[in-house]
Amino acid sequence: MNTTLSAILLLSVPGYPLLLAFPALRSRSPWPCHIALLPAVILLAVPAAFSVDLPWLLFGSGLAVGERSRWLLAMAVVLWGAAATLLRAPANQPESNHLTTFFLLTLAGSLGAILATDLVGFFTFSTLMGYGFYGLLVNGGEMAAQRAGRIYLALLILADLALFEALLIVAAVTDDLSFGAVHQAVAPSASLNLYLSMVLVGFALKAGIWPLHFWLLPAFRSARPAAALLLGGVPIATGLLGAVHWLPLGEISSPGLGLALQWLGVGAMLHAIVAGRIQGQLKMLPAYAAIFATGLFITALGAGLADSAAGSRYGDLAHLFIVSLGFGLAVLTVGIGWLAARSPDAVAPAKRAGDPAPWFERWPGAVVRWGAQMGSDTLPRLRASWLATAGRLWQTRAWQSALDGGERSLQRWAFAITLLLLLGVAVAFIGALS
Amino acid sequence: MSWDTGMPLLVLASSLLPGLVIFFLPEERIVTRTTLNLAGATLKLALVGVMIWGALYGHHYETRLPILPGLDLVLRADPLSILFVALSSILWLVTTIYAIGYLEGSPNRSRFFGFFSLCVTATVGVALAGNLITFLLFYELLTLVTYPLIVHRGTEVARRAGRTYLIYTIAGGTLLLLGTVWLYTLAGSLDFTARGFLSGLGGAHHTALVIIFVLLIGGLGVKAALIPLHGWLPQAMVAPAPVSALLHAVAVVKAGAFGIMRVVYDVYGIQFAATLGVTLPLAIVAAVTIIYGSMRALFQDDLKRRLAFSTVSQVAYIVLGIAIVGPVATIGGLVHLVHQGVMKITLFFCAGNLAETLGIHKVSEMNGVGRRMPWTMAAFTIGTFGMIGAPPLAGFISKWYLGVGALDGGQGWVVFILAGSSLLNAGYFLPILYAAWFKAPPDSWPAERSFGRRETAWALLAPPVVTALLTLAAGLLASAPFSPLQWARFITTLEYAL
Amino acid sequence: MPWLHWGVIAIVLPLAGAMSCFLWPRRAIPLGLVTALGIVTCVAGLGWQLVEQGAQRYAVGGWGAPLGIDLYADGLSLLMLMATAAVGLGVSIYSIGYFNREKARYFWPLWMFLWAALNALFLSADIFNLYVTLELLGLAAVALVALAGGAEALTGAMRYLLVSLLGSLFYLLGVALLYHSFGSVDIAILAARVESSPAVWAAVGLISAGLLLKTALFPLHFWLPSTHASAPAPVSALLSALVVKASFYILLRLWLEIFPPTSAVLGQLLALLGATAVLWGGLQALRQTRLKMLIAYSTVAQLGYLFLAFPLASITGWTGALYMLLSHAVAKTAIFMAAGNILYFGGHDRIADLDRVVQRLPLTVTAFALAGASIMGLPPSGGFIAKWLLLEAAIRSGQWWWGGILILGGLLSAAWVFKVVGYAFTRSRAPHESRAVPVGMEWSALAMSMVAILLGLFASWPLALMEIGLPFGGKGAE
Repeated sequence: MNTTLSAILLLSVPGYPLLLAFPALRSRSPWPCHIALLPAVILLAVPAAFSVDLPWLLFGSGLAVGERSRWLLAMAVVLWGAAATLLRAPANQPESNHLTTFFLLTLAGSLGAILATDLVGFFTFSTLMGYGFYGLLVNGGEMAAQRAGRIYLALLILADLALFEALLIVAAVTDDLSFGAVHQAVAPSASLNLYLSMVLVGFALKAGIWPLHFWLLPAFRSARPAAALLLGGVPIATGLLGAVHWLPLGEISSPGLGLALQWLGVGAMLHAIVAGRIQGQLKMLPAYAAIFATGLFITALGAGLADSAAGSRYGDLAHLFIVSLGFGLAVLTVGIGWLAARSPDAVAPAKRAGDPAPWFERWPGAVVRWGAQMGSDTLPRLRASWLATAGRLWQTRAWQSALDGGERSLQRWAFAITLLLLLGVAVAFIGALS
Repeated sequence: MSWDTGMPLLVLASSLLPGLVIFFLPEERIVTRTTLNLAGATLKLALVGVMIWGALYGHHYETRLPILPGLDLVLRADPLSILFVALSSILWLVTTIYAIGYLEGSPNRSRFFGFFSLCVTATVGVALAGNLITFLLFYELLTLVTYPLIVHRGTEVARRAGRTYLIYTIAGGTLLLLGTVWLYTLAGSLDFTARGFLSGLGGAHHTALVIIFVLLIGGLGVKAALIPLHGWLPQAMVAPAPVSALLHAVAVVKAGAFGIMRVVYDVYGIQFAATLGVTLPLAIVAAVTIIYGSMRALFQDDLKRRLAFSTVSQVAYIVLGIAIVGPVATIGGLVHLVHQGVMKITLFFCAGNLAETLGIHKVSEMNGVGRRMPWTMAAFTIGTFGMIGAPPLAGFISKWYLGVGALDGGQGWVVFILAGSSLLNAGYFLPILYAAWFKAPPDSWPAERSFGRRETAWALLAPPVVTALLTLAAGLLASAPFSPLQWARFITTLEYAL
Repeated sequence: MPWLHWGVIAIVLPLAGAMSCFLWPRRAIPLGLVTALGIVTCVAGLGWQLVEQGAQRYAVGGWGAPLGIDLYADGLSLLMLMATAAVGLGVSIYSIGYFNREKARYFWPLWMFLWAALNALFLSADIFNLYVTLELLGLAAVALVALAGGAEALTGAMRYLLVSLLGSLFYLLGVALLYHSFGSVDIAILAARVESSPAVWAAVGLISAGLLLKTALFPLHFWLPSTHASAPAPVSALLSALVVKASFYILLRLWLEIFPPTSAVLGQLLALLGATAVLWGGLQALRQTRLKMLIAYSTVAQLGYLFLAFPLASITGWTGALYMLLSHAVAKTAIFMAAGNILYFGGHDRIADLDRVVQRLPLTVTAFALAGASIMGLPPSGGFIAKWLLLEAAIRSGQWWWGGILILGGLLSAAWVFKVVGYAFTRSRAPHESRAVPVGMEWSALAMSMVAILLGLFASWPLALMEIGLPFGGKGAE
């Protein structure tokens, strides 16, 4: 296959869904969400590994498909195909039109993140995926869905900030931002620890890893079928994939960090078991399964970070793990959905509506209201009062009468004053000269 | 006069002459006026294109007219001025189209478009100024010709806003004048030179130079809306939307930021300024402005005021990029000059569309507006994400270079300022998007005008869509030749003698 | 000597014009216009002559000093002549529309007479001739002020007459003292002979006091606002632009040539009065509710600027002051014309009731704003160049506080200019009648304001002309 063709194919995997995301461009196609997957399917069908360099894109970017990403791509195609089928219920309504747009945006982000070969590309696609998924969660949903969406969005922004800091740290060290180059450049750098912690926090937030799993439970509780199906394969899988790509696995041996991560992972698994047991809702099972699985992942990641030799072997396994995690969670969700459809009692209703807004929603609101009350002047009240004071000062009787009086007396006693002044001036001049 | 010396004058004349002619056109000569406007804008764009091409092939465009013994009026096209000229001429064309659509059927259009053209002339003059006195001349001219645009509506509120604007800008201009004269008496020259012309002055003058720096930056900071000199900007929002767009993206605010650039790079020289110890305070002022502006934006319900405070914050990015000493941060500041313009003009166009089509002026009225005006709101969305700094939009590139530059220059604290600002940006922009896309629309809009099957008039819709695409392109194609980023890199190599 | 024709004609021509306008009142307008054009040509010719040959001295009738009448022309007088010609031409065109037939009959002869006096004053080479021309100038000006008719104008004219006579009297006393001491009234001869003695000091004091009164330097400005505001608009323009400058010219000339090398205190004293004038005039202008009064007070402030050059005593400073004089003359003419248009249009000049004149008289408001930009010293305008030069001189001489006064004065001017312009945009509460303004009045105001702006763009020419004969060269150089 020649390069041009492969470049077009690779670009169209995320590019085609992006184009279709414009309502005007898909108004005539009957199955837009399925058609959007077509380039990815073709790519899967061609068994060669190929890549394309895009030096004009952002800071120089690229896309590639290889042995590992092929698995992920396959997982994504299957999950997205299934989700697209679920989505295709009510057509030709503005609601569903919006939903399709968000679906396609998320799709583009998710596929692009799998194919990305550098940090900035991955960051871009995962951000696109994140905001799109937010739309998917929230659109037309209930109160609970909106709240879940808000939490997800807030954490997404924080995660992006953390990852952006990590990117800046890398960019200060190296100009080449492809994964391999970054691993080598960042491993000996002085700010390695900062980088590692930013990356870990960022992707933990994105993937909902315990103890930063705030968005996971509400999302699973309130997501509609198409979104719920994708939760495991898209945000969680992308987050985990990011951690694998961004962390310099195999380049560093950091036993301390590795141990900490392993403990965290164990904690996550324990938490999942205990909390899942207490919660006891069938619908929440996939959520706790996800926490458990990501805990497992983190444990392994800790092992990989602790020892460079283990780290280099870790990569393949991690990809397979992500693939199976995506599939597994999807199957679990579908299965429970099927159960729920058969016997509604088995799935308890979502948390009752109308519960008070949590603190992280009340506080910003309160701050904004306070600020709005302070008025729109610079340095509230201060500038207005300066102007008012200046105005009053200008209008003050004393001033006015001084100005008026001075001028009037000059006018009234004009000639007496003139003579006096002239003499005075003459004398002053003479004095000044002598 | 050869082409090379006449070129800057031609670029100025391409907006000056149409402007002067338009003043004398009767109100009802719409076609003539529109033709003149568009012809002028297109011609300017073409001339700037020729100038860029020529500059690459070693042409040296410079016009000199003596005004005082030893002082010339210099118009010169160096890379930095080309960056600003290109920005303003592209956005002028777009804004002219928008203004034609926006003001359709309103009174006093000849006056408006006349001053509009003069405003751009002054901006281009600011960009092309080859020394400080020429800069000062066009800078003050800009103050004057913007005033009638701000009070255009002729209401009492407009008159007050105009008064506030003048109090600030005239005072600022005075400081600038004082600093310029003083500098002239010390240095004997005012010509902009890459890497500055003051480093030769002995240590005895350093205190004076610091005071002059404060005077100059104080004068320029008024227009660049640095804290605490930004009070006029939110008030000036009473102007019609195209004016706000031009004010925020190209003309007034940018002239201030561009002036700070000139003073730091081409008068003092960045290295010399750093030795004088004036860059760190400037960086701190910029940082405070960034955070403060974003905070205030969070509190505004009026859409245009929110955008205005956002400008306060975003323009300070440019200043921050200047004040962090280092080539990478310089690239960030330079490129943000362009990026902020493109993004902010998109947002103001969209705000104008909402006001003009649906009568929406407040954020709280924007529920569900995305369904009614999807194209406008799509452009708005791109603009806001650009402002937040989401990849792959233009704002991401700026923030990237600012952040890397800060780490490069050993000013790690700046990274936290950037992060905090992004967070606040998200805080005041995302609720708008949420309301627009996800909330249910009301039964009726405050003051709806029907445009048939389209969501609004063509002339109102095309400009924001175009600028939104430019926002996207400036980010995505950052590494392509002729992108703002590449040009900023080129300028930086000159300023740092790399 | 060909130049003599230009200089002498510049004096004789307006006299002839005055005569003919007086004799044929029906043809006053065309006659006046032709004369005005003729004078402009003469001044241009004189200028060309000076550029070619340098400063010129000419003895009328061939007698020469110390007995005869000498004329002397250098860069300083040339510039004053040019300012007079520019303002005079503008005012002449403006007056065509402004005065009705009845008033025009009196206006044209008086105005031509005033012009003749001005030209003669700027070309005089001895202090007695200066006195004579000053007296003629004063009389013509008083008559012009009275032209408006009405009690207010007559009171103003009366007061002006007394002030004018008093000032001339003081000046004459000083001249007599000098003549008594040195036996000559020729400036060049006096400059060579003068030495420090009590008589000279007394003469300097008397002359300066008289001239300061006529120049209306604070606190001797009390007569100016009411006089200038009550006169007809073209006359106000002439008074503010030219008549008060004539006495300043004499003071400057004598200061540069005759007055003995003085202590710095004297210059500081003058500048102090000037600075007070700038602030007092600016504040009073801001407080006025009537447009013409406002402009008159602004003249008080602007005259103060001129005196700021005295302590700086550098060529840059003198050029700055002179440039200030030139640009103020042009700009103030434009502003008074614009005010006259507004008064003509609406029948009143209350600032708060301007009622959207910006739509209805766009050219006039443009003229007002452009000239205002020059008055407040915004670039590009003559006022800016002047301010720049003065500021530069102030900073170079280390007396930055005078620079501060310049800045403050500029801000005060900006405040009043924009106060007026702001009200021009808004609607007034009480709508009022209006009548159409003749086109010539609008365009001449605009043309004058354009000249004020162009003075900022092409400053190098007037500045080069000023250098002819090095009027500031001797004493001014540091």
